[in-house]
Amino acid sequence: MSAPDPAAGLLPPQATYRQLVATISNRVQRRKPGRAWLIAFALASLMTLMLAGCIALLFVRGIGILGNNTGVVWGFPIANYVWWIGIGNAGTFISAALLLTRQPWRAAINRFAEVMTIFAVSIAGIFPILHLGRPGYAYWLTPYPNSMDLWPQWRSALVWDFASIVAYLVFSLIFFFLGLIPDMATLRDRARTRAGQVIYGLLALGWRGSARHWQLHDRLYRTLAALALPLVVSVHSVAAMDFAASLMPGWQETIFPPYFVIGALFSGFGMVVVLAALIRQGLGLQAVITHRHFAVMGKIILAGSLGMALSYGTEWFSAWTSGDPAEREHLRFLFTGDYAPLYLAMLGCNLLVPQLLWSGRARRSIAAVVAVAVVLNIGMWLERILIIWNTLSHTHLPAMRGVFVPTLWDWLILAGSLGFFAFLMLVFARILPAAAMHDLGRLLHQREQSR
Amino acid sequence: MPPVSGPSLGRRQAALGLLASALTLTSCGEPAEEIIPYVEAPEGQVPGLPRRFATTLALNGYGRGVLATCFEGRPVKLEGNALHPASLGGTDAFTEAAILSLYDPDRSRTVRQEGRPASFEAFLSALKPRLAALEARGGAGLHLLTGHVTSPTLRRLIGRLRARFPAAQWHAEEPVDERNALAGAEAAFGQRLRARPRLESARVVLTLDADPLGPGPEQVAHARAFAARRQARRGREAPFLRLYAAEPLLTNTGAKADHRLALRPWEVRDLAIALAARLGAAVAEPDLPPAARRFLDALAADLQAHPGEAVALAGPWAPPELHALVHWINVRLGAPVDYLPAPEPALPLAPLAEALRDGSLDTLLILGANPAYDAPADLGFGEALGKSRALTIHLGPWRDETAMLCRWHLPERHPLEDWADHLAPDGTASIAQPLITPLHGGHSAATVLGLLGGRDGLDAHAALRETWMEAWGEAAFEPLWRQALHDGVVAGSAAVPVLPPAPALPDLPPAPLPPGLALLLRPDPMLWDGRFANNPWLQECPKPLTRQVWGNALLLAPAEARARALRDGDLVRLRLGGRELTAPVMLQPGMAEGVAALHLGGGRQRAGAIGDGIGANAYALRQDAARWMLPGLELEASGEQAELLRPQEAHKLEGESTRLLPTLSLEEFAARAAMPPAEQPQPASLFPAVGGQAGAAWAMVIDTTLCIGCNACVLACRAENNVPVVGPEEVAARRDMHWLRIDTYHLGESEQDPRPGFQPVPCMHCETAPCEPVCPVAASVHDAEGLNVQVYNRCIGTRFCQGNCPYKVRRFNFHGYADGQEYANQGDPLVAAQRNPEVTVRGRGVMEKCTYCTQRISAARRAAAREGREIADGEVQTACQSACPAQAISFGDLKKPGSAVSALRREPQHYALLEELNTRPRTTYLAQARNANPALEDEA
Repeated sequence: MSAPDPAAGLLPPQATYRQLVATISNRVQRRKPGRAWLIAFALASLMTLMLAGCIALLFVRGIGILGNNTGVVWGFPIANYVWWIGIGNAGTFISAALLLTRQPWRAAINRFAEVMTIFAVSIAGIFPILHLGRPGYAYWLTPYPNSMDLWPQWRSALVWDFASIVAYLVFSLIFFFLGLIPDMATLRDRARTRAGQVIYGLLALGWRGSARHWQLHDRLYRTLAALALPLVVSVHSVAAMDFAASLMPGWQETIFPPYFVIGALFSGFGMVVVLAALIRQGLGLQAVITHRHFAVMGKIILAGSLGMALSYGTEWFSAWTSGDPAEREHLRFLFTGDYAPLYLAMLGCNLLVPQLLWSGRARRSIAAVVAVAVVLNIGMWLERILIIWNTLSHTHLPAMRGVFVPTLWDWLILAGSLGFFAFLMLVFARILPAAAMHDLGRLLHQREQSR
Repeated sequence: MPPVSGPSLGRRQAALGLLASALTLTSCGEPAEEIIPYVEAPEGQVPGLPRRFATTLALNGYGRGVLATCFEGRPVKLEGNALHPASLGGTDAFTEAAILSLYDPDRSRTVRQEGRPASFEAFLSALKPRLAALEARGGAGLHLLTGHVTSPTLRRLIGRLRARFPAAQWHAEEPVDERNALAGAEAAFGQRLRARPRLESARVVLTLDADPLGPGPEQVAHARAFAARRQARRGREAPFLRLYAAEPLLTNTGAKADHRLALRPWEVRDLAIALAARLGAAVAEPDLPPAARRFLDALAADLQAHPGEAVALAGPWAPPELHALVHWINVRLGAPVDYLPAPEPALPLAPLAEALRDGSLDTLLILGANPAYDAPADLGFGEALGKSRALTIHLGPWRDETAMLCRWHLPERHPLEDWADHLAPDGTASIAQPLITPLHGGHSAATVLGLLGGRDGLDAHAALRETWMEAWGEAAFEPLWRQALHDGVVAGSAAVPVLPPAPALPDLPPAPLPPGLALLLRPDPMLWDGRFANNPWLQECPKPLTRQVWGNALLLAPAEARARALRDGDLVRLRLGGRELTAPVMLQPGMAEGVAALHLGGGRQRAGAIGDGIGANAYALRQDAARWMLPGLELEASGEQAELLRPQEAHKLEGESTRLLPTLSLEEFAARAAMPPAEQPQPASLFPAVGGQAGAAWAMVIDTTLCIGCNACVLACRAENNVPVVGPEEVAARRDMHWLRIDTYHLGESEQDPRPGFQPVPCMHCETAPCEPVCPVAASVHDAEGLNVQVYNRCIGTRFCQGNCPYKVRRFNFHGYADGQEYANQGDPLVAAQRNPEVTVRGRGVMEKCTYCTQRISAARRAAAREGREIADGEVQTACQSACPAQAISFGDLKKPGSAVSALRREPQHYALLEELNTRPRTTYLAQARNANPALEDEA
């Protein structure tokens, strides 16, 4: 057969199943954690503790320790929430959309991308609670039966937001676990300790690798993948509704849902690139996470950047053509107001810097793609905070205009959430296979078939 | 040092203490006092129903009638007394805030000798031998210092004291006094006469560095009279007053003026001289700058065209010769001015400082005054008082700067705890009655004066009855007394105006131009002369025009500041007459160049936990001879910056944004009024229609023409609705907590002529309220009568409602401002006693906002239901409405065709704020009507 090699540039040329499985699972089962891991883990644990301390302080002293004020009632927690949920968008998308479109390069990265989704969405889910004045009553957003006959107020986007986060998180967990089952069986079979055999054995749910198992698994997995795509779109569309379903200039825009979804994929892919580089280096997976992965993801980032440019352009154009003085005033404020330097920096990060990736040489350089990804994630965070600041700082009545000044706690909680994310990823790297072994095996199988 | 005799207990401690004493009482036999429930309840007392009593509060000695609302013997809210001529039902900021000072935890609670707690008996035994010795000398060496006293009783007691001690000397000192005005009258008429303009009869008013609509004892009455002449209403023929202002510093009056000119004080004087010359005075018309000349041309013609209806005014800070000149002008114009004889003056402060220093003073009694803080610096009063070896006695409700320097300090009862009488500015007497048992004991001025007059144990009540018994005779006394107590005013006691003699033209030597900058001192719009510095409501209330809270600043014209390379917030050192003071700079549009202004009342050292160290102490530069204008000010930038706390700055409106606060000329108004009211079709909305068939549709209309920006409504709202104090740090974090704010916009073209407009902004109670659909837990909902209500115990604090409110009228409890995280001492249980029991005190993390005083609507609804009738129009008065001295706020039921609000909504200048958003607000506005002089308009 002369079909092109689907695994070209994705697997080592002479790889065998045994080598593949060993490359990935030895990290979990055979080798002690290295010095770098230990240092990173200690740092991440410290930051996690700091986050816990900040949250405790927030609960004791109240939301007033943050920089939110009478005009700018939303601040860092909401921006962090939107940013994290955006990052959480990419994992399931990579897994599901690339599976359905039969992209072979998905195999090495889908596992940690899914894990990233679960962690990011979980962290994102904390923020709306942290930002509440009375976080103890967050459960009032759920339609639970109660003696007061009170239900959530269904017209509010926040209720649907809450529902969509929970649905997305639950779904992502199921999808992730389903993809994990064959690898759990592999780990069970390779385990040398009784505890390993029992724990991985339980998680493997009795997987024996029979053809019927594989056939059922594949069917369910693809069905769930098809279900996942609408959720990927809905979760960030509904987050966009928090802003769009309002009366404020700069928020009340029909473009917001698609614009948020594109932004989410954009920043999510950025985060996947960063994590891929770290895992590749840290776990020595140069063999399976290759230059081709980065080149492909570079193209997607470039496409995302163009999508963002289109969104910004549409936003400006419709503000201009609407003739609404409030919208025009908002547009003027974006470019000349108190936050104009940040806004221009955001445009630079999200629109200008990714244009580097037009160059093939840049796409093939892992360092360049990672640098672009880091920059665009900073840009995306700026975008999230500026959506809030620009609208709330410059409202209809001039008398109530004023800026937001972040406090130390705002920054510490943001940093703490990054530390907590790192902590979770580091734990993941030690207890679960960082790449889907069975998917890589399938890729190897396809290569052998095509030879 | 913490107070020794009256330790302030925490809630928990107090509860434990109570429990302990209850146990003691039940276990150890009979209680000391028999405690029984009402067997015969006091007449009219129903538990849970408030009662209202008339009483009087004084500012600068002048009484202003109030009605106090009391719940089970606990006063919680003060409102104006419609029968009292200085209130007419309205209040000012000081009156509204007085209720909080009653419950101030910093009030003095015990007699002190040399700072140590002592007993009143010990004081008596120290005083008695002194008095005996003094009596033997005829009272030589006895000095009495008071503020301005109008009280007939205190004057009678002082008279007795002087009869007993003929050589005793009585000094009276007010930092904001009338000495210039009286000296001016003396120069013009040869008599001490107080001039009271009748603005309600005026058509053209010229203020020469005067601020009749600004803070002061007569603000409410002036605002009411001014409003009566500024009613732009369809079909109303009454003349519309035109106001001209020439002033160095932007005032509330200047803000409302149809034409205002920023002039330096000496230019104001020149303008007045030139005006007098135009009116036929034998004076040379001085050279005026072109703008002032043009102003004068138009003004003089206008004044002369309205004989008998035109009046000129000069402020308390204007020099005597300007007052004399204004008297001459007014008599020439046949101006509507009443002249009232002023009582014999007491001695000023300077001889007292001298007596302290030269040792001739033997005994000094200070009643209520605080010269150690507010005496002009060049008198060195505090130092002299501290060094004096005499017996110095201070009676005052706070242990202030003066109390700290006196040998004896006696705690005085709060005016709401004591009997007193006062005269209103028009001479009407009124009686103040106590509303509560004195919280910390304390003594009355009448008691102490009685002691000195030889009447031991005289209480204020007895003293008062004696005074009025003398006036009315024994037979007629009881019914008159009861009537006076009930009404809060002694009927028919107003002074009779006298006809002044022909005025003399004062000597007007050409004044030399003062060198350098001239420093102008002015009373603080919120703190007055500093006496209210420990009142956090006043400290936190944005001062009109500067919008500053928690501090004062040196005001400079923007051009002046730029010339000196100074910016907002730059700390500068002020040097004047060898004294120095540091204050931040604030650029104030509308100020004249060549002057700088500083408000009195900052920099208190011994005000209490709230007022200590807030702002700069302007008295440190004040001179006895130059109390209001001090030339030769030198400024030196310190290179440091201070934060100016301004919750909402004044903003300039231009172009499109002027629709937020539109201004109509009278001609435009008349043209619109001639057309039938146009019913504008309402744009469609996806919201369900609000309000059923039954019930009212509450609405509010605010007339921006009448609003003088005095802040009475802001503080009334705060008092009524338990709005907590947040403190300067939270204000700096932009979290101020007023339910009602006064947005101030500059509508003028230039910095010299900012033409500020005031727009009070409470909740709009939108029919299609944007806050409601965004709340995830339905804490923001509509009630059947169209009120947008906030359900505090359902609110979880997402703040989406405020994010989506185009008017940003909602306020969030970022901390437990009234719930365990209070500012300074405001968590004291004593402060909690001020809370209105009909309004929830909000906890941390919930949103709150204006409720249209829903508790008052509810009370009216219950009363109407009980009596089987409908709620009458005007029966529900919101707190802001009833406070407003200008009656700019109307409230009522839209569904009643004849109601005041529905009539106002048909006025031609009626508009809704941000109408284009289709929020359909229930709070709407009447645009500003401006009565410009065509002769001054064309150029601009």
